[in-house]
Amino acid sequence: MTNEKEVKFEDKLKQLETIVNELESGEIDLDLSIEKYTEAMKLVKQCDEKLKSVEEQVNKIVTENGSLEDFKVE
Amino acid sequence: MNNKYLTVTAINKYLKSKFDSDDNLRVVFLKGEVSNIKYHTTGHIYFSIKDENSKINAIMFSGSAKKLLFKPIDGSKVLITGRISVYESTGSYQIYVDEMLEDGIGNLYIAYEKLKLELSKEGLFDSKYKKQIPKMPERIGIVTASTGAAIKDILSTIKRRYPICETILFPSLVQGDNAKDDIVKNIKLAENYNLDVLIIGRGGGSIEDLWPFNEECVARAIFECKIPTISAVGHEIDFTIADYVADMRAPTPTGAAEMAVPNISDLINHINNLNVRLNEAINSKLNYQKLLLDSIKNSYAIKNPLIMYENKKQLLDILLDKLNKSLIKKYENFKHKFELIKNNYVLLNPQIMYKDKLIKLNNLIEKLELVNPLGVLKRGYTLTYINNNVLKSINDLKKEDTISVKLSDGEFSAVVKEIKND
Repeated sequence: MTNEKEVKFEDKLKQLETIVNELESGEIDLDLSIEKYTEAMKLVKQCDEKLKSVEEQVNKIVTENGSLEDFKVE
Repeated sequence: MNNKYLTVTAINKYLKSKFDSDDNLRVVFLKGEVSNIKYHTTGHIYFSIKDENSKINAIMFSGSAKKLLFKPIDGSKVLITGRISVYESTGSYQIYVDEMLEDGIGNLYIAYEKLKLELSKEGLFDSKYKKQIPKMPERIGIVTASTGAAIKDILSTIKRRYPICETILFPSLVQGDNAKDDIVKNIKLAENYNLDVLIIGRGGGSIEDLWPFNEECVARAIFECKIPTISAVGHEIDFTIADYVADMRAPTPTGAAEMAVPNISDLINHINNLNVRLNEAINSKLNYQKLLLDSIKNSYAIKNPLIMYENKKQLLDILLDKLNKSLIKKYENFKHKFELIKNNYVLLNPQIMYKDKLIKLNNLIEKLELVNPLGVLKRGYTLTYINNNVLKSINDLKKEDTISVKLSDGEFSAVVKEIKND
């Protein structure tokens, strides 16, 4: 059930915020800055994609036997 | 004689102190019917409570009156909690009402208050147990009925605000006798579904309808639930035990959904903002580095590399000069010293030393000659010994003494024949 392979959106956002703060501090050298920037741009893209994914929202219901089925409000 | 008569003030004060020191009057539970109710502009409520045979004055101060869950009118059947004391100015005793509930459902309220007190004492409502509700849940569980306004409100709110998360409904009875067990079962079941947050609730209804959320087993299930919980029972004014135990209390199901998820447009703005900041930060870093590089490129040394060489060369010359000068100076010092030694008088005239000594020696020899007694003998003097001692006086002599006489070239013995004193 766990989403182990994927970092949670909230954690990605936190990571992104941290990098932006680090870069804004101007205290890291150029090479590392560029490395961090590249990483941050990846995160921006991922977060953006996640937020703008227009898939239908997933609503499930637990059935009698504990399995999940799609759920629509009547 | 007047002393035995009390003032009115004194007796009322005395009575008040009697009332106030009586534990039974400090917390009084009273039921009856409201009459003569007056709402004062200050917010205080003045009224009486009566039954078939009797009545008592009552006052509810604005602070307590604000918490009323209904508006009492004449004839309302009520359950009151308060204390009884004396109002000294009028000499009347009255009940000071802290809490007033509608009767009829009174038994439920009493059970509610009792359970609330118990669980509160046990610590189930303590803020130290409250879990943080995650800001951006990926999967939200909902324990409520699969039909009705509550689930509709929750799902539509989540869809509007944060459609990227998943919801799982644990359909549950939310009213009636079996509801509490069903709610407990579903809260426990929810723990198996890797949820970030769990909303537990139902829409509005009568106090009886909401009752399952005041049951002890439901309260304990919420308390023990490892998922952060948001309670959402009924309307704004409905406070259930579940609300006190849950990690967060929402006024309505819609409110619960709003608490559970962020607004996606806020997040998109936030990400855009971060993106802008990111680019600004890297650009300013690059510009700064570029400026730094330019300033180095334009520096005097880089532009005139020979300058550095020339400076060093000059320095080298100076040092070489110094070195030479000091060597020459040293050499001349030595040379000078050597010359001095070489020209020393003694070295040049070593015989001086010998001659000097020879003269001194001859002088000494002459002096010695002068004092040598034998030298005196050479000039014709003699030394006369008697018994091996030099004879110095005529008195040391007797006739017939044998004396020996020393001359410069020998000696002889003689016998004294005659002695003459001078």
